[in-house]
Amino acid sequence: MRYDDPELRDQLAAEYVLGTMPSRSRRRFERLMADDPTLARLVGAWADRLTPLDTATPAEEPPARVWRAVEARIAADAAPPAFEHRWFGSLAFWRGLSIAACTAAAALIIYIAAFPARMGPPIPAVVAVLADQSGDPNWIAIAGPQTGEVSVSAIRPQAEDTRHSFELWSIAGGAPRPLGLLRPEAGNAAIIRAAQLPPPGDLLAVSLEPQGGSPTGLPTGPVLSRGKVLLRLP
Amino acid sequence: MNIVKRLEEGSGSDSPLQLQQLIRGTSRGDKAAFAALYARTAAKLFGVAIRIVGQREEAEEVLQESFVAIWQRAGDYDAARGSATGWLTTIVRHCAIDHVRRRASRPNSHSASDEMLLSFAASGSTDRGAEMAALQRCLAELDEQPRRAILLAYLYGFTREEISADCAVPLGTVKSWVRRGLERLKRCLDP
Repeated sequence: MRYDDPELRDQLAAEYVLGTMPSRSRRRFERLMADDPTLARLVGAWADRLTPLDTATPAEEPPARVWRAVEARIAADAAPPAFEHRWFGSLAFWRGLSIAACTAAAALIIYIAAFPARMGPPIPAVVAVLADQSGDPNWIAIAGPQTGEVSVSAIRPQAEDTRHSFELWSIAGGAPRPLGLLRPEAGNAAIIRAAQLPPPGDLLAVSLEPQGGSPTGLPTGPVLSRGKVLLRLP
Repeated sequence: MNIVKRLEEGSGSDSPLQLQQLIRGTSRGDKAAFAALYARTAAKLFGVAIRIVGQREEAEEVLQESFVAIWQRAGDYDAARGSATGWLTTIVRHCAIDHVRRRASRPNSHSASDEMLLSFAASGSTDRGAEMAALQRCLAELDEQPRRAILLAYLYGFTREEISADCAVPLGTVKSWVRRGLERLKRCLDP
């Protein structure tokens, strides 16, 4: 079949979405779509034309066992395998970046060892500064104490009562993930693994949660502070 | 730009923009983003799966398969190519259709009249009411049988062969109904 005829391409995209394509043809079409962004765009346009038909279909709450089964099946995956060809979202890209960062750090250590007198004491790298709504910084994340670790501490003492805790969140792509509880007294750091940080440009945030942290795994209380991750650590 | 795109770009009460971000998070292996995506979309998608496979237990399997596929394929999603809802729904519908095709026979409950199909597609006023109204108007412009063929395929996952049996016409006729029906639908929907 010729896949360069524009009419045929649109027709196949329509039948792909409609669901009338035989299963084997559909899989062949999906392989074509993976390497053909304009074909994928035709499919997206057809999905947007036809999905209003689902409007009248009532939502039904699925039983909890469905999510448990999904969770169990993806548990083995450290990361989904399908995005290798998308460089900006891909594991390969981030791996490449962290390898590059590792090399830079190694070069720096060699440099410090070679010229100890001229370098002075190392200044800890600031990973993020978190500010409250009025822009006052109140938490800071710095590299260390060990390689691959980040210390998050209050810049000034934070008011916390016995019924609440400050919880730190990674917000990558708008999705919050809990990183742990923070200590309210200044200079008493919580240590997290650098690998848990969102990529530079994404956010760290602190919310007020019931004592011991959010029971749901998502922020339940007010977000008190936030700040962008400034750099990626090895 | 079509209506879905406009809805997605604004951050309305159902904020589809967030769905895009959750899919993006999922593509990076972020399980919290994936859990949030499930929480936001599973009920609607479960409804769609039940509609196609016709019963809850099998729809549960379909929903599970679909979300494993969503986890694995999140990196393929690109907001420039269409709405998050369209992408998610297509995965679930295809999964449900495969499930039904693996079965020896399908329940008879789907031999609905065209009027029923149309009223089904038209009922319910929701946030996507304007799009539904446009699609409804354009479906009404089609001849009765192509319209019925398209609705049986979309809503219930009928194959061409099943439509051919349902309407008592040759397979070739069904193919041309579907092809020309979809062409007319596109001309009517796209300004």
